Amino acid sequence: MWSYEKRLQFPVKIKNTCPKTAQLIISQYGGPDGELAASMRYLAQRYTMPIKQVGGLLTDIGTEEINHMEIICSMVYQLTKHLTPEQAKTAGFDAYYIDHTTGIWPQAAAGIPFTALEIQSKGDAITDLFENLAAEQKARTVYDNLLRVIDDPDVRAPLKFLRAREIVHFQRFGEALEMTKEKMNAKNFYYFNSEFDKGMFERGM
Amino acid sequence: MDTNTCCPCPETLAMTSIPKQNWCEPYDYRTALTEGTIFPCLNLPFFKAEIGDSTLNTATISANPEENEREQMLTEISIISFAINDLTLYLDTHPNCQNGLSLFKELLKKRLKLLADFADKFYPLTQISMIVGENDTNCYGWDEGPAPWEGGLI
Repeated sequence: MWSYEKRLQFPVKIKNTCPKTAQLIISQYGGPDGELAASMRYLAQRYTMPIKQVGGLLTDIGTEEINHMEIICSMVYQLTKHLTPEQAKTAGFDAYYIDHTTGIWPQAAAGIPFTALEIQSKGDAITDLFENLAAEQKARTVYDNLLRVIDDPDVRAPLKFLRAREIVHFQRFGEALEMTKEKMNAKNFYYFNSEFDKGMFERGM
Repeated sequence: MDTNTCCPCPETLAMTSIPKQNWCEPYDYRTALTEGTIFPCLNLPFFKAEIGDSTLNTATISANPEENEREQMLTEISIISFAINDLTLYLDTHPNCQNGLSLFKELLKKRLKLLADFADKFYPLTQISMIVGENDTNCYGWDEGPAPWEGGLI
């Protein structure tokens, strides 16, 4: 169950229209390492996690990623809210404008639509936690790339915040991996799948 | 202090080990929101976005003092709520850390009061704050105030 709170996790107040920036940032909505993919990945994986606390962490980080999706969508919205027909033609948002006007639609910077193929829920705790550690690093690289090319301080402040969250989440997934390893046999972490071979996991083999 | 400082698992071949975070004295909560974490030990900036080189944009373009007050209260709610968000993830992996737990409870109480004050003065941000505000107009209230994505600029 979720409940809504009428505010953003980090305030977004962008004064200047910039369709080009919107076209880059939209990747963190519907792109391969975006916030929508992140939330769907963690919220999908939690059901079969063998360690209850790790399932709890996936719920909490997955929920935070939904907040981040809302921040990114708000940025795209504010960057294109006052788009003129002339800007739609020349300022780098033309192809998107033809299909969506200034509506918010999940796609990558290069126009590829959001797809579940970009995430994984493998039904193996070790595999899924490594998937998540990698996902946080990939998202951090995208934020690095955005911070390198975007100058508007109104846009940079939320991007910097979101980048910092990727590093915190990486640390938490690392701790979740340690919690999972603790319950497994350190002589061979790959002897069985802790999610599927439940009897062996419970016997601590 | 949390004494459970390091991963208890032995390092082995073909497996990664990540050290467990020790409790570290949090930033003031406004700095924490600006930087993206309450923990200075986890704030590892990019060279194109150094610590302290961005600010929290809480300005309104409004000359209306009521709107400015609303913006200030909303910022305070965001600051305290973010500290709670970051502590939640910390406690998920450090459930026995008494430093984290006592700060968590203190901030939850503070947040509850801020949400009630905001509902009382302006409009409810959550459905539960529809009954903690004064509600003297007998209005529904959930539809009041700007949408979050408008940035307080309307």
